[in-house]
Amino acid sequence: MDPRDILSIVFLLAAAPFFLAGTIGLLRFPDVFCRLHALTKADNLGLGLIVIALALQADTWLQSARLLLIWLLVMLSGATVAHLIARTALRAGRKPWSGRS
Amino acid sequence: MFASLWYLLGRRLVGFSLLWWLLTNGSIDSWPAGLIMVPLAVLLSLTLRPPVPWRISLPAALAFIPFFLQQSIRGGIDVAGRAFSTPLPLDPALLEHPLSLPRGTARIFLLNTISLLPGTLSADLVEDRLVVHCLDTDALAADDLRRLEDRVAALFMLPIHRRRQ
Repeated sequence: MDPRDILSIVFLLAAAPFFLAGTIGLLRFPDVFCRLHALTKADNLGLGLIVIALALQADTWLQSARLLLIWLLVMLSGATVAHLIARTALRAGRKPWSGRS
Repeated sequence: MFASLWYLLGRRLVGFSLLWWLLTNGSIDSWPAGLIMVPLAVLLSLTLRPPVPWRISLPAALAFIPFFLQQSIRGGIDVAGRAFSTPLPLDPALLEHPLSLPRGTARIFLLNTISLLPGTLSADLVEDRLVVHCLDTDALAADDLRRLEDRVAALFMLPIHRRRQ
């Protein structure tokens, strides 16, 4: 097997737990704010690893650049949407969960 | 004044053209559609956000990329570790951070970066105060936020005037 393929498989396998963690965090975390942490950060890292794995398989550097661009755009929209959701929740009077009550 | 306006418009035109070129894989056939879509995108972007001047320092950008990657990895591992742990290791709190960066692109960039870093999420922006949601009160990151702000200021070549609290 091509060493590039092995490297791609390693990155894909490394990515999967982060997507799983993002979803588990979404289900387990106590409030909207904590859930946003799980979704933005874990999925962002998972997607980054998948982009690296796929970029290794790309035929041209233009394809790799396009994959990188997709990652940047998803990061940008993810962070923006997370901020908007958190802001809306705060302004609607939603109090963040605190384990110290 | 007008010269700088044309410069800023041109920058968006070049930016969106580059984006089109990348997304269509550099194919020549796509340009008839691109010649319509790119100006439309520029128009839409202008209605959403009027052009304001900003620039980036290349050395600071080169220093920022490894920092950002390292922090993203830490952030992802941190939150994934919490999601898989029982009981949930969460002790969230809101933290207010007085912003020193001026309004504009640099500030938005800072907001988005904070949300991708370990344990912090930009939750609201009221006047010049940023409300940050932290996953862990013990790791309350006031110093980290100041350092990050300094990095972003260097990236956008902005002076920073920190008010004494």
